[in-house]
Amino acid sequence: MSGGSQSSLREGREAAAVARPLRWAGLSVAGLLLGGLLACSNDPYPQADADRKVYYTALREAPRTLDPAEAYNVTAHAITGNVYDTLLEYHYLKRPYTLIPGLAEAVPEAEPQPDGGVIYRFRLREGLLFAPDPAFALGGEGRTTREVVAADVAFQLMRLADPEENSPVVDPFSNIAGFREFQQALVAAREADPELASLPPHEQYARVGGIEGVRVLGSHDLEIALSGPYPQILYWFALEFSTPVPWEAVAWYDGVTRDRFDDHPVGTGPYRLTEYDKQFRVILEANPNWYGVQNPEWKAPGAVYPSEGEPGDAEAGLLPPDVVGQPLPFIERIEFRREKESIPTFNKFLQGYYDASGIVKESFDKIVQNDRLSPEMAERGIELSKSIKPTIFYLGVNMNDELLGHPAGERGRLLRQAISHAVDEEQWIELFVNGRGIPAQSPVPPGLFGYEPEYENPARVYDPDRARKLLAEAGYPEGIDPETGKPLRINFDSYATSSAQLLQEQFIADALRAVGLDVRIDATTYNQFQGKVQDGRYQMFFWGWSADYPDPENFYFLLTCDMRRAESGGPNYTNFCDPEFDELFARMRVRDNDEERLAVMREMRELLERERPWIEIHHPETYGLTHAWLKHRKSFGISFPMTKYQDLDVAKRAELRRAWNEPITWPAWALAGVAIAVVVPGIRTFFRERQ
Amino acid sequence: MEAHVFSNLAVVVLLALGAATVVFVRRNRLWSEALAELWRRRRFSVLVVGLYVLIALLDSIAWVGGTGANGASIEAFEARSVIDRLFAGTRESSYSAPLADHAFYGGKPLEAPGTHLLGTDILGRDVLHRTLKGARVALLIGGVTTLIAIPLALLFGVTAGYFGGRLDDAVFFVMSTLASIPGLLLLIALIMALGKGTWQVCLALGVTGWVGLSRVVRGETLKLRELDYVQAARALGVSELRIVVRHVIPNLMHLVIITFVLMFSGLVLSEAILAWLGIGVDGSWGQMIDQARDELSRVPVVWWNLTAAAAALFGLLLAVNFVGDALRDILDPRTLREDG
Amino acid sequence: MLAYVIRRLAYGALVVLGVLLFLFVLFFTVATPDDIARRALGDKATPEMIDTWKANHGYDRPLWPWQDPSDNLLVSHYTSLLGFDFGRSDVDDAPIGQRIREGMGPSLALTVPMFVIGLGLGLLLSLFVAFFRETYIDRAGVFLCVLGMSVSILLYIIGAQVLIAQLLRWYPISGFDPDPDVVARFLILPIVVGVVSSVGSDVRFYRTVFVEESSRDYVRTARAKGAGELRVMAQHVLRNGMIPILTRVVLAIPFLFTGSLLLESFFGIPGLGSITVDAIRGNDFATLRVMVYIGALLFVLGQVLTDVSYSLADPRVRLE
Repeated sequence: MSGGSQSSLREGREAAAVARPLRWAGLSVAGLLLGGLLACSNDPYPQADADRKVYYTALREAPRTLDPAEAYNVTAHAITGNVYDTLLEYHYLKRPYTLIPGLAEAVPEAEPQPDGGVIYRFRLREGLLFAPDPAFALGGEGRTTREVVAADVAFQLMRLADPEENSPVVDPFSNIAGFREFQQALVAAREADPELASLPPHEQYARVGGIEGVRVLGSHDLEIALSGPYPQILYWFALEFSTPVPWEAVAWYDGVTRDRFDDHPVGTGPYRLTEYDKQFRVILEANPNWYGVQNPEWKAPGAVYPSEGEPGDAEAGLLPPDVVGQPLPFIERIEFRREKESIPTFNKFLQGYYDASGIVKESFDKIVQNDRLSPEMAERGIELSKSIKPTIFYLGVNMNDELLGHPAGERGRLLRQAISHAVDEEQWIELFVNGRGIPAQSPVPPGLFGYEPEYENPARVYDPDRARKLLAEAGYPEGIDPETGKPLRINFDSYATSSAQLLQEQFIADALRAVGLDVRIDATTYNQFQGKVQDGRYQMFFWGWSADYPDPENFYFLLTCDMRRAESGGPNYTNFCDPEFDELFARMRVRDNDEERLAVMREMRELLERERPWIEIHHPETYGLTHAWLKHRKSFGISFPMTKYQDLDVAKRAELRRAWNEPITWPAWALAGVAIAVVVPGIRTFFRERQ
Repeated sequence: MEAHVFSNLAVVVLLALGAATVVFVRRNRLWSEALAELWRRRRFSVLVVGLYVLIALLDSIAWVGGTGANGASIEAFEARSVIDRLFAGTRESSYSAPLADHAFYGGKPLEAPGTHLLGTDILGRDVLHRTLKGARVALLIGGVTTLIAIPLALLFGVTAGYFGGRLDDAVFFVMSTLASIPGLLLLIALIMALGKGTWQVCLALGVTGWVGLSRVVRGETLKLRELDYVQAARALGVSELRIVVRHVIPNLMHLVIITFVLMFSGLVLSEAILAWLGIGVDGSWGQMIDQARDELSRVPVVWWNLTAAAAALFGLLLAVNFVGDALRDILDPRTLREDG
Repeated sequence: MLAYVIRRLAYGALVVLGVLLFLFVLFFTVATPDDIARRALGDKATPEMIDTWKANHGYDRPLWPWQDPSDNLLVSHYTSLLGFDFGRSDVDDAPIGQRIREGMGPSLALTVPMFVIGLGLGLLLSLFVAFFRETYIDRAGVFLCVLGMSVSILLYIIGAQVLIAQLLRWYPISGFDPDPDVVARFLILPIVVGVVSSVGSDVRFYRTVFVEESSRDYVRTARAKGAGELRVMAQHVLRNGMIPILTRVVLAIPFLFTGSLLLESFFGIPGLGSITVDAIRGNDFATLRVMVYIGALLFVLGQVLTDVSYSLADPRVRLE
């Protein structure tokens, strides 16, 4: 035992000898850490860019493709909309949405033909150039660009028809005479001659002979012949689907030896893509070949800041005299940073690292109070803008369902009406979007022709008692199915990908349970949900639809027989089919916006009040926030970026960013102090005791 | 069969198993001493785990009808558990703070003022209620996974270790194949292929958890096979099956139990990650945390959701980890070491 | 020796083939190509679009060799992955190989410092705790380890983002930029979270090894001979304890390449973990398949290397 005490003595001495350097090492590590803390900063951008006009924005998800024939979502349009100019554009300030000429010299008039068809004549501006790109070497040694001609638009329209491209907008463009025929001829030619498929697309199209209704007259004139009236076609010429595309780029970026054309857009817009890393960032730089830069003397409507807007724009600072008529664009670079989580993104906006942002629902009460910016935010110079999106969220019913749909006849109708009365959409809007939305009364969202703000859908009044009465009328008193003696069992088919989405669906399920329906959420993955849709094993679902162009036709078509999911794989997920509705739809589709069209739409609305394939929930309202340094920005409901009209005050931005992001360092010092105060005496005491 | 009948039966079976275990432990000196030692060392942790189990059992006993339906007709037809009945009629319209008597937003008076110990969530559900129900989900995840993994591991581990040869090669090959796929990715891949749902998650966890246990079992069986009394039994002509059942498996049980107690926290933590990816189990603490994490940005801050779920999860795992550590020390001081 | 190495490698190859079979069954038979197509094309897809998509991606071929020996999915699955031809993403058609090369850098920038700091800190703390074994410092240390292990990593991340990034504004909440001026400030927070969340179980494991090692006979002998405790720890315990520790550490190295799913996603680091999470959320089976394959391949490789180096160091191992 004596040996033990001896060794512990020695141990103590050794330990004391080691303890001093240990203490020093500890102190130096602490010093290093503190030094690191003092030098720390939360600025996510390199210093070199601080005084350039770089517009920073977040990219929530990576776009699947940037091919203008395919790209069909908001994220992709944020890029393609800046890279590809179109024949027609929307006026930046005017509401309701107004078309102005873009690459075309004027907005064409419809010219009805004796055979029932309609012709639109476009004339391209002369001297338009594509953005510089090595692909143009295909057209001649050393070339980096070339003039835009009418054939480039025709080429793109043929690409839309090409089934290989998988374009989602074949239907609207099929109104062009000979569009479907070209499609079939192309498929047939490829089958007949396998060699053909190995040629570059433009040669294949040339062999097949082009679309009959797309007539290229000389280098700058283009005639579009429709087989019947379809006034909405002009909107499609304001979307990137119909932008001129150089055949060289499609042939060059073949995805085998070089990038794919989907990742390498070559266009005519005010910006061009210079860096494309889907996980990290996307950079657009001003395009030196853009017509607004090359030919400022044209003062083309799409290349200068507009001089008029809607009433109130001047007061809102959207028509500053020193900017009106100035050549665009003002911002030299657009930088998208990939952000996956909403809260960090929003916090970076608050720190000044993004120039504009929406509001995440959790922070809403901090930002907006009594429908106005909170004093704290107003003091920071943040501005709030509101716009209604042409979007609707609805609760859909599978009309092929035995219990709820067409097969159930009158009982099913009453049941759907009961469901319609049971969901309190105002509470929904309050809980999940902080009241930012308009309770939906019909499929048509605000801002579109035929939306009537004073209209109240009698079937969408929240009235649980009425719902219970309707249930009784349907033969299910108190929700009890007389056959089983138990509450009626209904499946709510959910494919929620996040817990937050599941909460929203839980709300609807709870509302229906409150009137006595035994609604259970069947949560599956998206694939399983699609599988259920495929087999018709679904009853109720939550869905949304955003307008592709501002016309009510783009909403009502979702309920036509032709678009039924079960029959044709179309987007009519409810499988609603009513000959009367289809007849009305056919009439409203081809009419210009006049009284008669409105009358037809009212009839359709009434029919839906009774049938209830959709239980409309809400039209979201977007609250946009911008920092004081982002100038003359007006929010635009449809997904057009409109970045070229906006400007940045870079000096102000740098100054405010500095002021808002001073790190708070005292906790580090306090923590270090506490650590030293606890650890050092502790170790000392310990060694003393051991000794 | 209705879900609640199944759940009630499961409780009965579990209680019967529990009783059988008590009887067995009382008769078996080794186990009763070990458990007495565990009780001596980790009384508090054992009590905490017991409390969670009790809550989970109470939440599993459900029946239709009875009192407390609070007018809403649908509840009268539904099977509600003992826990559900304790919280009958406490549904609010949205958030309320702990013990508040008015709604968090708008300040409307509550249906049941002052009774929500941990407040209510966005849909007005009592947070304490949801937290308590999470115990059942957590133990279900652990329990069902165990039920899947233990028989698999015993079957494959013992046959491979005991009979050796080709069989061993085959089992070992399957094991090393599964083991070489990164755990979380394997789990996710399985769930994506199987689909979403409680049983799918448990099955995937069972398949991933089976491998580790099987390895331990195989290794130990290899050793047991060579022991004198097993050799003696074989020499006496006792059938192989009888040897395995009478002599090998009983001597593996302590390893199985320890491995599983130690694995339990990993299972529950994995589920939290799955919940974040949107493929977790409905009603789990992981899901609560995921639903509540963004609420921290609200002003004033809504903290009680996240805190309740996180604390419940933490409490269970802490207690289980302590019990597991102690069990390992008591039953098997040297041969077993947690690796990975 | 050579025979052993070859045998070991052959077995590793066999395991890789097994992994590939498993992946095939999982991703081609359970989730059908129709599902994948619909997911990739979105809600506005028509049946014709789905058929074209399947044809373009080769998913319209039969699954098994007995259906069509010359052209089937199973054989092409094997040949392409074994040939490191990873093909294109199901969701956006981007070449997966290129995406992996791009993601490797940011992933390593995160995982390597995390690994090194984690290992260093873990060893330091566990030696410290083992040095004071059976005292209150030891008990407190183990208690803290178990405490740390019982917290979900989600909570660590949320806590760090709210407290350090949002309230104290020390570092960016999330993001990444390879620019050398700013790259460090994006990595510090995820590294700290990564180290803190894993240090508990590491320390507990290392401590067990050290405590066990320090109760062995030769250590007792050394102590009896009068060697000081610090010297015993440094010379004998640390050195001999390194073998089980190294096994664990070496097997963790392959996973440095596959990145961290949660840290990368929450902190916006464009690495392989981030790519994997995108693939999971977007049902991009082609990418997920490749990520699982690479993970398994690296793991098998790591295992073979460990085994071979052991057998070099200690010939008896080969006898097993």
